[in-house]
Amino acid sequence: MTVTVPRWSLLALALALAAPPARGQEAAGTLSEAVQKELAAVQDLIARATTEFEGPQQSRSIVQFDEIVTRLEVLHRQGTLPPRGREILSTAYEMRARAYYNIGLQEKAADSFRSLIQLSPQYAMSKERVSPKVVDYFNSVKKALVGYLAVSSSPAGARVSLNGEFLSLTDFFPLEVLAGEYTVEIAREGYRTETRTISIAAKATETLQVDLTRTLASAFVVTEPVGVEVWLDGQLRTTTSGTPGPDLLEMVRAKGLDPARASGRTELGNLSLGSHNLEFRRKCYETVKRQIEVPEARDYETEGIKLQDSVASLQLRSEPPGARIFLDGEAMGITPKDLDGVCSGKHHVEVKHTSGKFVQDIVVSKDESVTLDCPIRPSLAYLGVIAESAAGERFIPDVEEKLIENLQQKVTALNFVPAPRDTVDRVLESEKLTRKALLAGSGVDPDLVRKVTVKLAEALEVQGFLLALLPGEKLQRTAVLNLLAAGNTVPDTSDVTFGESASYMRFLAAVDRKATLYRPWTGLITVDTAMYEGVPVLRVVAGSPAAQAGVQAAEVLTAVDGKAVKQTSDLLGAVDAKKAKDKLGLSLKGAGGAARAVDLTLADTPQEIPLNDPSLLYNKVMIDLLAQIQGYPGTETAAFARLNLAICAMHFGDFAAAHEHLLKARAELPARPGLSQGTALYYLGLALERLGYKKEAVDAYRAAAGFKDATLFNNDGPSVAPLAARRGGN
Amino acid sequence: MILRRTLLLVLLLPSLAAAQTSPEDQARGLLEDGRTYRKEGKLKQALDNFQTIVSGFPNTSFVDDALLEIGRYYLEVDHDAAKARDAFEQVTKRFPQSDGAPGAYYYLGRLTMERAAAATDIDDALAQFARVQRLYPRSEWVPRALYATGLAHRKSGRLAEAAEAARRVALEHPSSDAAPAAQFELAQDLALSGDFRQAMEEFQQVRNRYPESEWSPLALDRITALYRLYGAGKPTFALDPSYSVGAGDTLKDVRGILMMPSRTLWVASDKVKSAIPFAPDGKMGPGLAGEDLQSMSLAPNGDLLVTAARAVRLGPRNLQTFAIPGSKPGETEPLEKLQAAAVTPSGSVLVSDEKKKKVFRFDGKLQYQAPFPDAKERQISRIVLDGEGGIVMLDRDEKTVRVLDEAGRVLRTIAAHGPGYDLRKPVDVAVDGFRNTYVADEEGGVLVFSPQGQLLATLGGADVRKARAVTLDPAGGVLVYDDKLQRILRFK
Repeated sequence: MTVTVPRWSLLALALALAAPPARGQEAAGTLSEAVQKELAAVQDLIARATTEFEGPQQSRSIVQFDEIVTRLEVLHRQGTLPPRGREILSTAYEMRARAYYNIGLQEKAADSFRSLIQLSPQYAMSKERVSPKVVDYFNSVKKALVGYLAVSSSPAGARVSLNGEFLSLTDFFPLEVLAGEYTVEIAREGYRTETRTISIAAKATETLQVDLTRTLASAFVVTEPVGVEVWLDGQLRTTTSGTPGPDLLEMVRAKGLDPARASGRTELGNLSLGSHNLEFRRKCYETVKRQIEVPEARDYETEGIKLQDSVASLQLRSEPPGARIFLDGEAMGITPKDLDGVCSGKHHVEVKHTSGKFVQDIVVSKDESVTLDCPIRPSLAYLGVIAESAAGERFIPDVEEKLIENLQQKVTALNFVPAPRDTVDRVLESEKLTRKALLAGSGVDPDLVRKVTVKLAEALEVQGFLLALLPGEKLQRTAVLNLLAAGNTVPDTSDVTFGESASYMRFLAAVDRKATLYRPWTGLITVDTAMYEGVPVLRVVAGSPAAQAGVQAAEVLTAVDGKAVKQTSDLLGAVDAKKAKDKLGLSLKGAGGAARAVDLTLADTPQEIPLNDPSLLYNKVMIDLLAQIQGYPGTETAAFARLNLAICAMHFGDFAAAHEHLLKARAELPARPGLSQGTALYYLGLALERLGYKKEAVDAYRAAAGFKDATLFNNDGPSVAPLAARRGGN
Repeated sequence: MILRRTLLLVLLLPSLAAAQTSPEDQARGLLEDGRTYRKEGKLKQALDNFQTIVSGFPNTSFVDDALLEIGRYYLEVDHDAAKARDAFEQVTKRFPQSDGAPGAYYYLGRLTMERAAAATDIDDALAQFARVQRLYPRSEWVPRALYATGLAHRKSGRLAEAAEAARRVALEHPSSDAAPAAQFELAQDLALSGDFRQAMEEFQQVRNRYPESEWSPLALDRITALYRLYGAGKPTFALDPSYSVGAGDTLKDVRGILMMPSRTLWVASDKVKSAIPFAPDGKMGPGLAGEDLQSMSLAPNGDLLVTAARAVRLGPRNLQTFAIPGSKPGETEPLEKLQAAAVTPSGSVLVSDEKKKKVFRFDGKLQYQAPFPDAKERQISRIVLDGEGGIVMLDRDEKTVRVLDEAGRVLRTIAAHGPGYDLRKPVDVAVDGFRNTYVADEEGGVLVFSPQGQLLATLGGADVRKARAVTLDPAGGVLVYDDKLQRILRFK
């Protein structure tokens, strides 16, 4: 008699058996090499046997199942058969039995089923999968071999083992067990283990009821508020939860707690006998410590535990203001802001502005009032190191480590942030670019570089990037650091010997150098001559401090603050040593030789960034300037920063960007003597000229020429008008 | 550096030990040592190193650098323009992509400019400088090329363009090694354009921004000179009563005085038949003997020219007589009544002869060329150069000062009579760095004229009784030899 089963079900079975074990089922490392090898072999065999079983000559599979059985029974006898081997052996028994049954050898089939049931007494066959006749036959064989066992305990939840093998947790309904003699063990933590000997007959049911004897104690705690961590002898044991039930309300009140805020009665189980230290902890509350004595194994009620608030206040100010505050990652508003009710303890403060951020870890104590000034620093994302040649790749991790070691703690003017590689890759890949696109001379369209740096800056919340390059021909000792501001297209480069910290000094100094955007100013233009003791005043800038103080051209300045002035550098040095709004005492001699003293109050003058200064990292300057623009939008400071940003763009030959900046600068700068709208117009003409817009350039120059008192460099600098007039063809 | 260098380094990577003794490394070592020698003044040793690179390591990537250095040596040390040009042209032709190429173009431009005899030469030079800026915009030679562009424009008299180029260096490359010179050049261009106050500011910027540069003390002189004339409304010359130089016969029968840029004062006295130098501290140095001394002038290369009736001393050693073609073919006629001589920027020598009543032009090899500017008779008692290559000639008979260019075109004139002055017996002339002209008149003291020929000031009255010779110190102070007092007076 042949019983047919669906082809797919057998295949699925074979594949399931051939598949690697599920995670955690059996780690390859726990099995000996020989067992692993044997397991692999029988997995292969069972797959082939199953295919054979499914084929027209099903009986030929019996030989293969025999081999599987023989090989796995050896392991079973040795006690090295792993759970997966047990599954395969069970399957082999079952299929061999079915093969015998199908060719009419029922006795042989019964033998194989018996072996199966002895291996796995709870093994079951489904009539949906296997022929009902075979299943009935299997069940009849099983019935003759199996009895039933039910165990319950007080309390429940104890582990039940038969002859040392875990069966189930109490309480359980009757389970199939191979008929025979057993030692039953019932164990639960905190209770003494009980052992019984029983005999289970085929088809019979045995029942065990065990009362467990307590060996450990429990304590019950109620806290106010709820959610308090309970630490026992330095280890977290539980957290109070729930609310007091109606039956406990009186008890809670009696413990001096507010039932509306108190927790439910929370068990702290398995306490060994003796003395224990308890700590009750909750964020924003003061920790409460108690000691509990446990002389015997029983339940204990503790006193009500009431935790007191522990909060501080935090006043956050930032420069520039209007920055978003994050306390331990949680948004808390914008600066300036006073935060009350800040939990005592350690906090991670982040104050983020589009121009940069401030990051600091602080510790506040109960009732403390802390004022935190948060200077916003731009952030520099470290994008890692790349090599020009594949040969360099193997050295990169070492280089990476050295570079970070020499940069991370040493860059002080910027936040140095190693960027997550996946974020960087994702943004670059979105534009089909690699990191090399950010290097000078990459050949990538500058507008695309600009776009991707802006996107990267947004994704990483930074204002600039640092990318190291290992030049292929350099034997991997030096790296080229590429510093690039967000929105710019050409990096500044600096060579370092990556293993030598001294070689980073120049780069670090340049990064930490802040461009001087303003300096104290008198408006006094003096010249050195060999004719006078002192320096004659050639010109007094209209509206300047010197003009307001009434200094006249052709007077001779002989001293500043009582110190003799022999040349103009003496005056400039004295002014540079002061700051705007400071007083400066001038000693002057008139044309007739009459001496007089004048006090003036210093103002300040904006300064242009030099167009090509080898000591400057222009990308760092651009980062600083953008911080000014974003930090103080609409101010004069921002307008001058915009003008300088244009000059930086011109430094890189990026006249399109310069043009954009200058259009804004022209609108934002004041129309007054010195650096002003006229200055922006002059540079606008330059940018337009370089972009090939001759007519527009001439228009800009002519407009600039109309600003008679506008200057270049600073408020004392050369007049824009004649230069612009010449370029404008006037 | 040549791109090939990168490839070579890559090829050399497998063996660092081998790389250290490779031809590439040896050539690099020679170049570095050669440059060190040059800085230390061991110029011949430096040249040897550079030539060894070219001949011994011709396939290395340092040949372009070596050729550039060799060209510089020929130009600056040997003053051999042809050899220098050859070296630079090798760089531009054989290694146009190298980092030596912009330097070579720059020097080729300088060579062309400095020997320019026509406007087309200047245009050629400008084209070389423009090539540096256009083809090598990131090169360190760009600011130098811009600066040289300014010089070329100035040489052509295009002062606005000159100022703009110089301004670009100051504006765009303020930290470059060309910046101090360019800032100075900018100020000078403005001064020559008549924008004296802005010029003073720009000269002062040389001192403020580059106080340690060689241009800073020069700027002080220029500011002083300008401020004295234009700073306080009207020129202010004050006699320095403490000034005293020379004594005895050296100050008798003085024919000429000349202050060098180094502030050494030469006094040509017919009494002692010598031109005698006095150092800035007043110490007298060894003189140059000469019979019937007439005048002195300064050559463009800084050499002193002393003119005696029969010969001219060109520089420290070269005593030269002059002859012109005689009336018969093949005959020559020596000039024996010389009054003045000068070397023009293009290297020609001009000599005036009292007997022939003409100025004659000789080429750089002292071959006779032609009368200058023409064959008309005139008594030119003094020939000097102004700072812009103008040839300043004092016509004793016409009592007129004319400034001509090398082609003989009159650029400006100070006539015998003008508003506020009469030249009665002009005997000497000097010109400052801004083309202001100082005329010594035996009967009228020293008259100071602007470049436009307007009288700015007169130094005289009771102070100057008989001005016989005049010269200027670098800061615009006026030194006058008073033949009556037999003293040199200084107005500062």
